[in-house]
Amino acid sequence: MSMTKSQRRHAFSAFRYFVLTIWLLIVAFPIFWMVSTSFKPDREWFAWPPVYISENATLQNYLTVWADVSEYATDETGKLETYTQSLQRPWEALGNSALISVISTTLTVLFGSVLAYGVSRYGILSEGRMFQLLMLRMVPPIVLIAPISIWYSALGLLDSITGLVMLYFLTTLPYAVWMSKSFIDEVPREMEQAAEILGASRMRTIWEVVLPLVRSGLVATFLFILILTWSEYLLALLLSKTEVVTLPVELSKYQGSTEGRVYGRQAALSVGITLPLIVVGLMIRKHLARGFSFGMVRR
Amino acid sequence: MSRIELVNLRKEYGNVVAVNSMDLTIEDGEFIVFVGPSGCGKTTTLRMIAGFEDPTAGDIRINGEVVNEKEPGDRDLGMVFQSHALFPHKNVADNIAFGLRMKKVPKDEQARKVQEVSELVRITHLLGKMPAQCSGGESQRIALARTLVTEPSNFLLDEPLSSLDAKLRRELRAECDRLHDELQKTFVYVTHDQEEAMTLADRIVVMNQGKIVQMGSPMEIYSNPVSYFVADFFGNPAMNLVEGEFVAGANGLEFHSSQFNIPLPGKFKDATPGKGSLGIRPENVTIGETGGGASINSEIELVEPLGKDTLLYFGTDADRPFVAVVEGTQEVKRHANVDVGFPDDAIFLFDANGDRIR
Repeated sequence: MSMTKSQRRHAFSAFRYFVLTIWLLIVAFPIFWMVSTSFKPDREWFAWPPVYISENATLQNYLTVWADVSEYATDETGKLETYTQSLQRPWEALGNSALISVISTTLTVLFGSVLAYGVSRYGILSEGRMFQLLMLRMVPPIVLIAPISIWYSALGLLDSITGLVMLYFLTTLPYAVWMSKSFIDEVPREMEQAAEILGASRMRTIWEVVLPLVRSGLVATFLFILILTWSEYLLALLLSKTEVVTLPVELSKYQGSTEGRVYGRQAALSVGITLPLIVVGLMIRKHLARGFSFGMVRR
Repeated sequence: MSRIELVNLRKEYGNVVAVNSMDLTIEDGEFIVFVGPSGCGKTTTLRMIAGFEDPTAGDIRINGEVVNEKEPGDRDLGMVFQSHALFPHKNVADNIAFGLRMKKVPKDEQARKVQEVSELVRITHLLGKMPAQCSGGESQRIALARTLVTEPSNFLLDEPLSSLDAKLRRELRAECDRLHDELQKTFVYVTHDQEEAMTLADRIVVMNQGKIVQMGSPMEIYSNPVSYFVADFFGNPAMNLVEGEFVAGANGLEFHSSQFNIPLPGKFKDATPGKGSLGIRPENVTIGETGGGASINSEIELVEPLGKDTLLYFGTDADRPFVAVVEGTQEVKRHANVDVGFPDDAIFLFDANGDRIR
């Protein structure tokens, strides 16, 4: 039996929604599990059959992790509790993470976009060089860790905020250049020339004509790189784990030979790590929609 | 008093010569049009005058002063771009006021001038809108206003009308003409459209392959083209250009082609026999009349009535059909055999290189 054109269209549309729904469930499940676990009392962390939504929901995990409030009646050992309270410093880690990622991302986007402008308008880097820049990112960071450790220890940069900022700046710069270049390329050269012939200086032209047009793109670039540095684990773990601890490293401490697996606490911390990014994303969502669709909305 | 002089101006991109040693003086108040096919160097020349491209060699002088090293904004120029290049994030009034702001004109004077110039190009109703809300024709008027408001003594216009449809193009063409009349400033206008060049220019500069091929008033260029290229470029419908051979016959030189053979007027008797082409404008071809020149008898293969005129096509199986224009009122029948006349003074001959034979 053959379908009419509109039936076919409906069938296809239904199929598409079906596939997308499955996909959504797959990607959303870990997030759901993280949030759900963060409210579970310890008995339910490992329970089988699994508890999807706890009937004994508690804020204890959050209080223990973030407010250092002890638990009262649990069947966990006192040793674990003492350890959790004495060694973990989530607020300090949050501060470090915020400082490091905001500084390095700001620097990266600033330098990256200036570099991208030069590439876009003056061709200061050839296409080959631009590709090499991206190739830098193809090197697995772990192979660089030995030389970097040696130099960092010699320069006194191990376990320091400056050390991580420098490293994040360098490793994310290629992304910043590539992304912001694509936005700058979209601004017609004639628009700048029109400003110039009307008497605007180069800086004035960039400030008044180019920047407003690429602002959304730069904001999108900023968020992208902020996510990268905010969640970076490997370099942070290897270059600084005692003094300057970042949130991803902090998170890893909730699983170990001495601590056991304190899933609920870890989930509570995870939620805390994720929330700031969501908040930032919501704050700039107007720019994101425009930034990621720039070029498609040309008049 | 403003005068733009190009002295031995040259631009190379790698091995490609875009503009080849060009000399030209544009007088104050002149409306000059650079015209030619794409890639002929006309836009490159304009962009060198504007200061967006550095000449490989030669000088650009504006008001007697060499401006090669001057920034575009310091050359006393205004420019209108093909793409309008309006600032999409500023409203129309701010777009127009941009140049005044850069020149630090006081706020109240800015407002007054914006109002004045908007009246001049009839866009006062658009001042509060964003460029995206304006049509193509309106955008081009805004771009004009933005340029006019800074009162430069020279205007550069880079194919300003080519992104508009035919009707708007005619309308804005007339607008350009009116503005030039009113302002009495120098206009340097680039186009690939021969009709725009004919209607607007005081003087046309025909360019091809980086060189000036011919310079002159529209009528000079039309009635006295120096080469096959110029003859072919100007006129609509285009000049009939028939490839063939000049052969010495019993009564002087003759023209032989696959379409027809005719004797040539006496003034060409000294021309060298050989390959070449014969040109005649469609409106100069006579139909059904005799006298005043050679004629052939041929069949009308296609009739195209345009109202005022009617186009008659002969030899449509050739590379280029042979076209004649007659008055729309004249009675003509397809497939009729008529006498096609070549008045002596309407015949152009070009040698194998495309140069005019006089």
